[in-house]
Amino acid sequence: MKLEDEHSALEADNPSSTKSVSPRKSASFFEERPPQVMEVAPQLLRHWTRRDLLLFGMGAIAAAAGGGSLLPQATLKRLGIIDGNKNWPTKEWLLNRALRVDDDVAEALYSRNRLVPTYTKSQITPLKNNYNGATPDPSYIPEWRLTLDGLASGLSVSLNIRNLLASFRLHEQITRLVCVEGWSAIAWWAGLRFDDLLSAYPPMSQAKWARIESSVNVGPWGNPDPYFVSLDLSTARHPQTLLATHLNGESLTVEHGAPLRLHVPVKLGLKNIKAITRITYTKDEPQDCWAKRGYSHYDGI
Amino acid sequence: MLHSIQLDKERIATLAPENQAGVRVVRRHHLLVRCSHWLNVPILLGLILSGMSIYWASPVYRHKPDPQTGSFDPLADIGVWICAHVPGLHHYGSPPDWVYNHISLGPGVLAVALRLHWLCAYLFMLNGLVFVMGSAMGGGWRSLLPRRTDLRDATKMFWYYIGVPFAKLTRRTWLHPRFNTKYNALQRVAYFSVPIAGFLSVLTGWAIHKPMQLYWLTAVFGGYDKERVWHFWLMCFFVLFVVPHVILVLADGWDTLRSMIVGWSTRAERSEAFDNEA
Repeated sequence: MKLEDEHSALEADNPSSTKSVSPRKSASFFEERPPQVMEVAPQLLRHWTRRDLLLFGMGAIAAAAGGGSLLPQATLKRLGIIDGNKNWPTKEWLLNRALRVDDDVAEALYSRNRLVPTYTKSQITPLKNNYNGATPDPSYIPEWRLTLDGLASGLSVSLNIRNLLASFRLHEQITRLVCVEGWSAIAWWAGLRFDDLLSAYPPMSQAKWARIESSVNVGPWGNPDPYFVSLDLSTARHPQTLLATHLNGESLTVEHGAPLRLHVPVKLGLKNIKAITRITYTKDEPQDCWAKRGYSHYDGI
Repeated sequence: MLHSIQLDKERIATLAPENQAGVRVVRRHHLLVRCSHWLNVPILLGLILSGMSIYWASPVYRHKPDPQTGSFDPLADIGVWICAHVPGLHHYGSPPDWVYNHISLGPGVLAVALRLHWLCAYLFMLNGLVFVMGSAMGGGWRSLLPRRTDLRDATKMFWYYIGVPFAKLTRRTWLHPRFNTKYNALQRVAYFSVPIAGFLSVLTGWAIHKPMQLYWLTAVFGGYDKERVWHFWLMCFFVLFVVPHVILVLADGWDTLRSMIVGWSTRAERSEAFDNEA
């Protein structure tokens, strides 16, 4: 520091000095610049201070109000700021907008040619049953059928698990399932490629989406709440998107969605729907039971 | 000498003729720095609060489930302990949620927390980008760049700060180490590491968010589970930075805090030392 200032003083005295020019130049790129001192009339300074502090105060109030209004209802209720159910349309709009931007980024990152990492059998980790106490009764399995709708033929196709296993080649992969909650599990999956099903039973030409539904034991005695997800056909055609029939070398158990479930490693776990009963191809984006609860629509990872 | 000539020119330029005594101020923080600095306050707060609500859904740190309560989350255990031992909290509604109710948006709000986290994360990246580009073009990064002597000088500053309260209590003189740069060595180390921590937070964030498409980034941080640990500790770094940062600014006085709002400081003498030292 001191040395540099000496240099600059030297230079000021003798501008033609060539000796100090090159070292000074290279050093000055990283060197701090001297601060700018100025002299201001007191009343002008007071005016600046008042103006800037007012602007800052207004900004702080706006940020507190704007940021606070974005907080979840439960948080605001706990803080005693609101009581009862209150939602602002702008809040939902802004948060959904951020989610849409994020979905668009995810879609831009996705490539059908980019394969996800695969693992070895020694890296397999336990996969928990995420039905959370609502595992369906296995009585649906013998009667199970998969219905395909929205096909190019205009017909509705119904298949049982023997048809599927007999007419499609099974593919194996050891891939990671990532949950939106933050946990993940590596498992050994086997099943038919969704892409192969799409080739065998082509969807109608304008179709861009699949609505995949699991309605097992629906009715007053069983599951009152069918699970359904949306899946874009570009992701469905990814070579690692499987309609899985086997987990860790054995046929799927009821906990993991027997007899047929989706394993789509490029999406969050919540798209990996179990016990699929119906696939409907659509032109417009179908509903998704998690998107309805405030999660993303696309869920690409 | 050169400086005083410059000053005279400025005096002529900025002073109205009827004013004899102006106030000498030094330009301290560029508007861009002030804006990005204060924008970071709500953005980081939003990121940390929503981040802890996301953490709740699947804690990074966990132990074997407790046979009695089934709890596997140390943060939930701390809440239970606090509610059992702190007077007035014995009737707290849900002790395992106590910590989350105080350092996050609360438990069970994962969907909203995620949306808020993305919103704040995109704003954080935008803010960081503007700051980095602005400092690169304006040259302001030079005053943040650590020097070779900074480790020794930063230690000196550290002991100075530690000693200040004791010196005040015992009414002893306690001299501030001399420096003639915009920031002292400890500030430089701290302020330089914050943008780096921000950058790493963004990288680990993307690696967690897109572990399949950006699998190479996930691999850089040691895999999906490890990068969550990285992301968590980078958040802790911000908290560990902010606490002494705020304490020291308040201790240093109004001029320092004001300079981050209005941009100038009346402590022009520090910059005079710049030339007088030579």
